[in-house]
Amino acid sequence: MATRAEFLGRIRAEVAKTPGRFEAQTATRPPRPAEAAQAVRRQMAERWPEALERFRQEFEQVAGVFHRVKTVAEVPAAVLAIAREKSAREVVAWDASMLGLDLRPALGAAGLAVGTVAPGDNGEAARLRHRGEAARADLGVTGVDFALAETGTMILLSGAGRPRSTSLLPATHVAVFDRRRLIESLEQVGIMLEALHVDPARTMSGAVINFITGPSRTADIELTLTRGVHGPKEVHAVFVDEPLGSEGPA
Amino acid sequence: MSGEAGLATPFSERAGKALRDTFLQEALGIATTKFIGLRREAFEGFPQGDALRDQARAIKEATLQRLDVHLGRLADNIERLGGHVHWADTAEDAREIVLKLCRDKGVRMAVKSKSMATEEIDLNEALEHAGVTPVETDLGEYIIQLAHERPSHIIAPAIHKTKGQVAELISVVAGKQLAADPEVLTAAARVLLREKFLQADMGITGANFAVAETGTVVLVTNEGNGRMVTTLPRIHVAVMGIEKVIPSMTDLMVFLALLARSATGQKLSSYTTLVRGPRQAGELEGPDEFHMILMDGGRARQIAGPLREALYCLRCGACLNVCPVYRQIGGHAYGHTYPGPIGILLTAMLKGDRSVKDLAHASTLCGACKDVCPVRIDIPRMLVELRENLDREKIAPASERLVFKAFRGLLLSETAFKLSARIGRLAQRPFVRNGKLRSLPLFFGKWTATRDLPPIAARTFHERWKDLA
Repeated sequence: MATRAEFLGRIRAEVAKTPGRFEAQTATRPPRPAEAAQAVRRQMAERWPEALERFRQEFEQVAGVFHRVKTVAEVPAAVLAIAREKSAREVVAWDASMLGLDLRPALGAAGLAVGTVAPGDNGEAARLRHRGEAARADLGVTGVDFALAETGTMILLSGAGRPRSTSLLPATHVAVFDRRRLIESLEQVGIMLEALHVDPARTMSGAVINFITGPSRTADIELTLTRGVHGPKEVHAVFVDEPLGSEGPA
Repeated sequence: MSGEAGLATPFSERAGKALRDTFLQEALGIATTKFIGLRREAFEGFPQGDALRDQARAIKEATLQRLDVHLGRLADNIERLGGHVHWADTAEDAREIVLKLCRDKGVRMAVKSKSMATEEIDLNEALEHAGVTPVETDLGEYIIQLAHERPSHIIAPAIHKTKGQVAELISVVAGKQLAADPEVLTAAARVLLREKFLQADMGITGANFAVAETGTVVLVTNEGNGRMVTTLPRIHVAVMGIEKVIPSMTDLMVFLALLARSATGQKLSSYTTLVRGPRQAGELEGPDEFHMILMDGGRARQIAGPLREALYCLRCGACLNVCPVYRQIGGHAYGHTYPGPIGILLTAMLKGDRSVKDLAHASTLCGACKDVCPVRIDIPRMLVELRENLDREKIAPASERLVFKAFRGLLLSETAFKLSARIGRLAQRPFVRNGKLRSLPLFFGKWTATRDLPPIAARTFHERWKDLA
């Protein structure tokens, strides 16, 4: 078995045999990512209405279901309506501090069990308990870190209080976000992710970033499009005009 | 079933079998035509696509020019995040590393998301021998695993199966007769595989990309199985060819804009999952351990070799769909892990030129593959060079080399060329029917067995040109 030094040494030797190849450039990265990310935020503070409309169109094109409510107070009712439609009995959700609102009072009052995990609660017992909850749940409610308009994609960072399975195991995924999450292009996503990675202390506590573009799908049997093969069969976006109480990643 | 099992028969027989399989012919026609249309639509609505393809190509080239540096940085970052990096010179090394991990960690079952790299190293067979149950979780891969077959397309592995055949396969596992309805079968697979995800000790993935600057492995899937296998089992192992590393997140966005559009015509696949290391501090879910296996397997020697450009490949499958040969014979007839035009080059890279002495000719050199490639790999040029090398290295059969040598002689001498036209005109007389040569004697008959040959003209262009000039 090769050591790192041997392995890379051999590659270096091969690379050295190809001098004077044409000049090729990798993509130009923002020199100061944090500032570039701030500039994107400022642009989007102006342009979010167009981005929202584009997001809605693209999201619906990938079979997403779009909802819009005016106030944060209306969100629980919107989530409850989806839960009723799906005859849901159990729900898992990101922690209230991550979601920007607490769903438990309203959903609990309607007889739904809501499983959440507090940010500090990450021991083996909590892991096992939550795995069971997520596997049983009919509905998973998350926030969104970036809502990418040009493809109708919701980008979610994992971390404390924001389990990865919430948007994966339940058959229906509901994501709640406000205007501060909207961005326009993959290029801007690149800037935001560059900024996240140079500032790990404040931002990326978790190991995973998921780009979610509509429900889980397959066409592996005679090219027939079928939804919900492993992940959610339905994905809902609930947009709130009023700012949510959660702090975003950047 | 070993990846080489199909090789007991020569390529011409494998291709012949595929050509006589009427379902396969129909399925291939429908699937490849559909993929071509989806890709075309996706790029029509994406004017910046062409410029991005140039940029993507430049990024791949620039990365290769400093491949050692990028791999080193990737490894540093993965280790900084608490992951482990393994260096595999050969497919055998990569297999052995996975098996050792299974032994050391007491792994009984491994769930896999779709990965060509693990197909390439015949990992499933090795795991089974070691007493570990590998479960393919991409629906198409699951189907062919149940059928004990191999993928026939890079992104649609089971396109050669009818829904009736799939129903039979899944019914056996489900323990009840299921209708031949994709909706029903997919729902059944969801239940069967969900159980596996929750039970498995190890999740095995490939990697579509790895970002050196951040230590991130990128998995692109539509089903969400890539997310399952990196979320639920206690160990995540990623097996990746060294050419998949890219420098930064900014570079990644260029490739994401192209990959799904080229493969399935989607703007993005349903899931693009960026994973760095094992579960991080404060996180509830995710594996305890993350292992990255960086595999050479014949790639490094092509950095300065004739197949260098094949190292740009994103494995989107677009070149398969447009290839007139693939469209006729499908993936299995190629007999190796990677089918289609790029597959011929990748097979030569991984297994040596000798392994493609027949396949090197399974191309019309029409150039459609190069036209659709998201990184504009010049596949036809490399196929011609490969053929040259087969001749130079005397790997091509002696008879073939003799014929081409004789042909070269004819083309180099004007007298010989003209004379041969005259002789040919006389010799062909008994065989011309309705203006076509339909069957020829001796070994020439091989050509006319499956196609007609136009006869030598009554007056050649040379002769007519004399009158005109």
